Amino acid sequence: MIRTLTALPLACALTLTAVVQGGGQTLPAGPMTFADSRVVVGGDVSASIAPTDPGFFNYTDYEHTTLRMFRLALSGSLRASQRVTILGEVQTENVDRPRPYALYVRVRPWLRHAVDIEAGRVPPAFGAFSRQTYAVDNILIGYPLAYQYLTSLRADSLPATADDLLRMRGRGWLSSFPIGNTRPDRGVPLVSAFRWDTGVQVHAQSERVDTTLAITSGTLSNPRVDDDNGGKQIVARVSVRPTAGLVLGASAARGAFVANAAAQAAGPDSKGLTQTTWGADVEYSRGYYLARAEAVFSAWRLPVIQAPSLNGPLRAAAVFVEGRYRIFPGLYAAARVDHLGFSEITGTTGRGTWDAPTRRIEVGGGYALQRNLLFKASYQHNHRDGGRVRTLGLGAVQLVYWF
Amino acid sequence: MMDANHTIPWTPGADAAREAPTGLPVLICFVAVVWLVSVEGVAREPAAQVPPASAAATGSIAGRVELGHVEPAPARRPEVAALGAPPARDLPDRRVSVVYLETAPRGAFEETKPGRAALDQRNETFVPHVLAVTTGTVVDFPNNDRIYHNVFSLSKVARFDLGRYAEGRSKPVRFDRPGIVRVFCDIHSHMSAFILVFSHPFFAVTDADGRFRIDRVPAGTYDLIAWNEGTTSDPQPVRVPAGGVVDDVEFTLR
Repeated sequence: MIRTLTALPLACALTLTAVVQGGGQTLPAGPMTFADSRVVVGGDVSASIAPTDPGFFNYTDYEHTTLRMFRLALSGSLRASQRVTILGEVQTENVDRPRPYALYVRVRPWLRHAVDIEAGRVPPAFGAFSRQTYAVDNILIGYPLAYQYLTSLRADSLPATADDLLRMRGRGWLSSFPIGNTRPDRGVPLVSAFRWDTGVQVHAQSERVDTTLAITSGTLSNPRVDDDNGGKQIVARVSVRPTAGLVLGASAARGAFVANAAAQAAGPDSKGLTQTTWGADVEYSRGYYLARAEAVFSAWRLPVIQAPSLNGPLRAAAVFVEGRYRIFPGLYAAARVDHLGFSEITGTTGRGTWDAPTRRIEVGGGYALQRNLLFKASYQHNHRDGGRVRTLGLGAVQLVYWF
Repeated sequence: MMDANHTIPWTPGADAAREAPTGLPVLICFVAVVWLVSVEGVAREPAAQVPPASAAATGSIAGRVELGHVEPAPARRPEVAALGAPPARDLPDRRVSVVYLETAPRGAFEETKPGRAALDQRNETFVPHVLAVTTGTVVDFPNNDRIYHNVFSLSKVARFDLGRYAEGRSKPVRFDRPGIVRVFCDIHSHMSAFILVFSHPFFAVTDADGRFRIDRVPAGTYDLIAWNEGTTSDPQPVRVPAGGVVDDVEFTLR
């Protein structure tokens, strides 16, 4: 948090310096093009300010919260030929070291057919919100729980008993278990919106139907560049547009979740430790309305080590509904209702959900100061059935610039 | 960058002053936003009108606008998060310029006959890319794509948002104030167009070669200005003889 507070003035100073050095020239209103438009560079900059979040409801790891963040993302595409395009994106949060967010090659084997093959650190195929995570696309400031909220589960650290897991209820921002990596670290969300997986995917599009099939090295919870368990994940998505403005989508994914090091520490019978996820989404827009709903159901299989043991998969279900209404040109109001629930397990002291169910309501809106400069404000009410902080209200403001 | 809030006629020198305030510091330093908004609100003084001319004694102005280089069509943002390549689209014709009298004869404003025009949405492009109309004109925005579009403008002279509507539907907007209106699509950021709204009828949109002709100009001396994609020429004095044609007006932009 201290780092965040110091980073914002630093970012301000850096950008001021950049403008002074640039002779006060106007920043671009659209993407920059080079080499006869074969190279296109766009950007998305957002600065969010909010009070501290002692309940860690909005954290993506121990140091980063989505409500107190300066994020700079530069994306680019290089059209090598009619069939081949290389795309990439670099992001920095709170002026941290820039990190590659995406880097992949897109190949269109047949120019007359909308079929693309993508390989590298590819965009997520699962769900709908996973491709709407840019601040300009997110109608509010917070993220849906399914894509951001950290459960206590980890891929590199395993609970030996059900009691170990129950002790970590509501502590996903810094959980620890006795098997594997015992150092406290962040848990995983159902689907990570902040890292992209590495692999190969095929996408085919017709007038009304989109289909994508991907094979990646990580899982939805734990996307990876390098493979830590030798298992692959398969992701499939189908979306249908029956009429203008309506999109219906269904997704599924299954992949090896637990890292080899943790699985080996758990014992020789640790096999089939997977994350299986199902998703359904719908979007409808017309006139000044936009409504979206999405449901994500995930199940993780962890090894049975000691009694009281974890029998059966650990399940989680997240559902959110969000909507936006444009009040007048440049101004809109938005709201999101979100719920994240967990299945029950039995420990020595009784039966309970393996993580604390969480609910969030966020209301707010945005005002376009210019076409590509958006001011957002929101208030979110969080409630969790466990953890040190159970109820928390947070107001936030955000400024978004894109080109 | 083009400023969408000009009133016409305007003084070209004011353009540069209005381009300075935007910038990344605004993004972080919220105080700057307040300043930005206040600058947006600067009013522009209308130019003085020239003396009235006899309605019967009119002439024509013709010529050509030469572009040093044609602005490339706005690129689609790198859609890194998209699952596949975006569909092909048409590109706007940015060779088109507009030539107009900076000051018009007194009484010309009353002669304005508002009409009806259309700005089509076709293959993810506004057609035409540049539309010039007189005040009071109603412009239709038909959607001829199979996807939604959401036409909007945040220009001070005409701030509107038509919402999302499907293929085959159209929505009208009446433009009552002179100025430049930048039109965008909220869904497709690469779609943009200009509507130049004049309070007098003495303007012309060039063809792709830059040629233009303004007819029925009352005899007199005027300042003529050429505009292309937000760049304006210096005013060029033109003396229009009664019943004659000034056909050698040349502008070079960029």
